[in-house]
Amino acid sequence: MSVRFGDQLIAVLPRLRRFARGLTGSAVEADDLVQAACERALARQHQFQEGTRFDSWMFRIVQTIWIDQVRSRDVRKENGEVAEERLGSDEPVRRIEARLALDEVKRAVDRLPADQRTALLLVTVDGLSYKEAAEIVRVPIGTIMSRLARARIALQLQLEAGGGMRRSTNDAEAQ
Amino acid sequence: MQKRSDERLVAYLDGEVDASEQREIEAWLDSDPAARDRLSALAESAALLRSAFDEVLHEPIPDRLIAAARGERVATGASAKIVPFGRRQGASGTPAGHGWWFGLSVAAALLGLLLGGAVAYLSVAKLLPAGLGGKQPGVEMAAADNLWLDNAAGYFKLLASAGDGGLIDVPATGDPGEALQKISQNLPQGVRLPNLKPWGLTFRGARLVVAEGRPAAQLVYSTDNKAIGPLTLIIGSSKEPDIAPTLAHRQDVNLLYWRHQGRAYALVGQTDIGYLWGIANDVAWQLDAI
Repeated sequence: MSVRFGDQLIAVLPRLRRFARGLTGSAVEADDLVQAACERALARQHQFQEGTRFDSWMFRIVQTIWIDQVRSRDVRKENGEVAEERLGSDEPVRRIEARLALDEVKRAVDRLPADQRTALLLVTVDGLSYKEAAEIVRVPIGTIMSRLARARIALQLQLEAGGGMRRSTNDAEAQ
Repeated sequence: MQKRSDERLVAYLDGEVDASEQREIEAWLDSDPAARDRLSALAESAALLRSAFDEVLHEPIPDRLIAAARGERVATGASAKIVPFGRRQGASGTPAGHGWWFGLSVAAALLGLLLGGAVAYLSVAKLLPAGLGGKQPGVEMAAADNLWLDNAAGYFKLLASAGDGGLIDVPATGDPGEALQKISQNLPQGVRLPNLKPWGLTFRGARLVVAEGRPAAQLVYSTDNKAIGPLTLIIGSSKEPDIAPTLAHRQDVNLLYWRHQGRAYALVGQTDIGYLWGIANDVAWQLDAI
């Protein structure tokens, strides 16, 4: 393995973990997924084309492995784990409310169909362009656009229904 | 029809529409309060979404992942050993004296640039040569600032897409002080104009915008140096506690923002982090905003 390849991989780990956390809804499964992606990337590093975006290549690997996992078994979710832990702590009430609002967002994301969730995580959370996201998922840009719009509307409706939007930004300041 | 409208609004928020469609959407937003409300709600939920997941970036990386990235054999599913490292200076960091934190931040940010942005989030002690651990870049975005930073980046994009002279409420024709005085009339506090000519930046005028829910001035600078400009500086009032300069990104826009003694500042542009830190340092010294 070249040092440069390993360095690139380490540098992109935080974003891969965030992406995987959004896909799986579980901290442990997300890290398992990222670990599997690292191992696959190292095994196939000869397939990476210099001059292309390394982060996009890694996102694609993570997404591919995750789809394989989803197809082969039910993905276990660990929703609520963080909220319960925090509720038992001595955090100020306002901070707990903010935490719950953010947990509600994560649960809303979990309820989205997988393809919409992926588009949302790549574009809205990670800030990739529609073109970059389309290349990772290997669908036309128009498909990303419609998946994203459906995801954003569904997310908003879920948050409004659950009160997350009412608690939203001001409460998040306590974070 | 509604689906198409939603797609357009989402694409507009994401900066994924061309100039002509952008104009169409803005005309639509001007004439349709319901569409504006929908846009605002979409922006708010997007900010919440980012906040919900950004905390992952600030977690320490488990050993097993670093080992996996280095090609060292580890057992899948092994319990992760989290190696804690000191938090970067966050919102509560208070400068003890003028300038030192900017100097440290510049050095740290440049170091982060050299090593690749995401490395900044990792355990530096593990990844960098011995002796460098503990000096991590102050590149952290506070979740609370998402919404107004979204807006600040949006204002910049609008201005950049409008070109020279577009969208400036009070152009700096003749005496720049006059433009500033006009803008200040609409603000709770007067605004001073930093001189950025040493950076090759010329003050073009000002706009009235909203920052942290209050009226604010957006000072517009342009330059022929494509490595730097254009740039905008938003100065508003704030009731939030002081925070040290913090870097944020919105797609291809970089923002450096901070609060000092009841004022919020955001330097916004597409230039690189090194320039932003340098110019922000200059602004802070000139405006006693440090």
